[in-house]
Amino acid sequence: MKVDLIRIRELVRKEFIQLFRDRKIRPILIVAPFIQILVFGYVVNYDIRDIRIAVLDQAQTRESRLIIDGFRGNKIFRITHHLSHDREIEPLMIRGKVDLVLKIGPGLSERVRGGNTAAVQILADGSMSNMASIRVFYAVTVLRSINTTLLHELHPQVIHYGRVDPRIRTWYNPNLDSQYFFVPGIVAIIIMIISLLLTSIAIIKEKEAGTMEQLIVTPLTPLEFILGKTIPYILVALVQMAVVTAFAVWWFDLPLEGSIPALFAASCLFLLSTLGIGLFISAVSSTQQQAVMTTFFFLLPFFMLSGFVFPIANMPEFVQWLTYLNPMRFFLVIIRGIFLKGVGLEVLWPQYMALLLLGAVVFSGAIGFFRKRLD
Amino acid sequence: MNRHRIQAVARKEFYHLARDFRSLYLAFAVPILLILLFGYALSLDVDRIATIVVDHDRTALSRDIVRQLGASPYFKILGNVGDTQQAGKELDRGEATFAVVIPAGFAAHMRHDHEAPLQLILDGSDPNFSNIARAYVTAFFDGYNNNRLESFLNRQGQTVLAQPVEGRIRVWFNEDLESRNFIIPGIIAVIIMIVGAMLTSLVIAREYENGTMETIRSLPLTAGEFLLGKAAPYFLIGLTDVLVAVLMAQILFGVVMKSSFWLMITASSLYLAVALALGLFISILTKSQLVANQAALLVTYLPSLLLSNFVFPVTNMPAVLQGLTFFVPATYYIEILNGIYLKNLTLGQLGSSFLVLAVMLSVLSILNWRQLQKEGFSR
Repeated sequence: MKVDLIRIRELVRKEFIQLFRDRKIRPILIVAPFIQILVFGYVVNYDIRDIRIAVLDQAQTRESRLIIDGFRGNKIFRITHHLSHDREIEPLMIRGKVDLVLKIGPGLSERVRGGNTAAVQILADGSMSNMASIRVFYAVTVLRSINTTLLHELHPQVIHYGRVDPRIRTWYNPNLDSQYFFVPGIVAIIIMIISLLLTSIAIIKEKEAGTMEQLIVTPLTPLEFILGKTIPYILVALVQMAVVTAFAVWWFDLPLEGSIPALFAASCLFLLSTLGIGLFISAVSSTQQQAVMTTFFFLLPFFMLSGFVFPIANMPEFVQWLTYLNPMRFFLVIIRGIFLKGVGLEVLWPQYMALLLLGAVVFSGAIGFFRKRLD
Repeated sequence: MNRHRIQAVARKEFYHLARDFRSLYLAFAVPILLILLFGYALSLDVDRIATIVVDHDRTALSRDIVRQLGASPYFKILGNVGDTQQAGKELDRGEATFAVVIPAGFAAHMRHDHEAPLQLILDGSDPNFSNIARAYVTAFFDGYNNNRLESFLNRQGQTVLAQPVEGRIRVWFNEDLESRNFIIPGIIAVIIMIVGAMLTSLVIAREYENGTMETIRSLPLTAGEFLLGKAAPYFLIGLTDVLVAVLMAQILFGVVMKSSFWLMITASSLYLAVALALGLFISILTKSQLVANQAALLVTYLPSLLLSNFVFPVTNMPAVLQGLTFFVPATYYIEILNGIYLKNLTLGQLGSSFLVLAVMLSVLSILNWRQLQKEGFSR
């Protein structure tokens, strides 16, 4: 098939003029990505900075105060309520006013001084199970250091026994900063939304406006038409990618350990798939509403099954296999690898190959399908 | 208000929908897909942590530690590699998320009653995962050390020292700590927003784009009648989606309401009405389907997912965003749903959330009504 570059250039020019003349589309191109990166960057957050804890101290002794001080001295915990009765626990938990309740029973000091174990109750709001596990873990950690102090007081002699000293090091994101994990992913989400939605709609608009007929009678070949229609959005997506990446680095202080050209190469490969899907959607849709809903139908599983929020390793095996069809999955591994791990093609080549393969299949399939619809 | 005129508008909108088979199909397919995805595939629970081992010690003791680790449901030993560098590569590639490096002389240290260092490397890129994984790892070695201490003291003929304080943990509302139990109710809130606001955001914009708004304005139709008629078909679709979601949650995933079904339906209707009013508001303001859709995505879908305490705890957010969450309808609906699904609360206990939703509905309705009057509709 012959491709006439001048014809494509003219179509690209027309598309750009239409795109930027539309005053309503401009905010989508500029404002929407910024809102998304800001909101995602700040909201999507598992950092445990603030565990609200209510304390019910029925012992009122030196030991019980020692425990409470242990929580007060830990900056992750914030004692929000001092309770005086069991009755006060339930309303607090029900209204979600506290995350944990620490209840110290009356006999604490006698048991501890007698060399026995005294139970301290920790009630946790389990509504959000993952957060609850982490909060309980922190509470247990505080109790453990209190135990060390108490044991030392009761039995000043030091026992040496063969024990494991686990030294945990955290790689890639030592402070477990949520933004390090999520912000690179947002870069991928934004270019996916833009490239899918805008390409599908750009073609539907010609159909809805009745200008498709005119385009068909021009000497444009289907391939030229498709290239002319997609190139503007490749450019738009790449520019957005650059802006959002810069924003991630400057605003969110994200380390960009790896190579920028590798990042852009991956984006181009990724765009091959999303533009292909955009073309496919525009071939099967006849109204904007249909296109938007169909886009959504694709976006959701791509988003959910990509490992952006929910780890793929947790999914059932069958679904894990399905994720291999999701270009987003590979793109995210690449983006996070480049941003956080500083790795490049030497490690990520399987992901690059997968994107290339998926993109080639989807894009050429879409072109074939689209041509059949045009005829 | 004339019932027949409302019916006429609703019928017209319904024909639009019925003729546009795909939108209708998606209005049901998207919710079902979401529930299936969230119920079957998505979980924030951490188990089977992919673990790689580097054993420089190669003793019975080091092998025993690895075996015990593998026997725990939280760790899945992928295998042994020769050196730390190789383990690092596995972490780089993302094949493993946790590496245990046992240095040479480990068992000898233990035998001589010393602290034997063990290097543990955790992939920290996913903070939710690493936080929980770190808790498991720490707990595992605490238990291991306690056993060692016990046998050490037994050998010396001493009694084991009792730990002074022990935390007895009780979890309320979601005793088994299953993420499914809060994710499924949350996803119902997102579904209603998608179907309610995203679909309706297009309906009035469509009339403007097709140029049919002129005709509609010239009809003897009041603003209220027009709005109710436009919203009615989507209200039915949305409510059907809620029923489907409730049934799927219960039958497929065993997520059961602790409190009343009718309370759930009442809350859902109210929240759905808010979503529809919001969608129509966006539609009237933007007058363009594409812009309306993007706006709906930004002001309904994303906030419902992100700012509603659904997956991401509001208490972790910066103050400005915490303030924003008060304006997100899903925040209140999810509070109600958690009350109904997990906490067994009554209408009395959830009254304030219902009230806020009702106020939101009234404000949006009045805004819509006034806006349409400005566009030339009669009262």
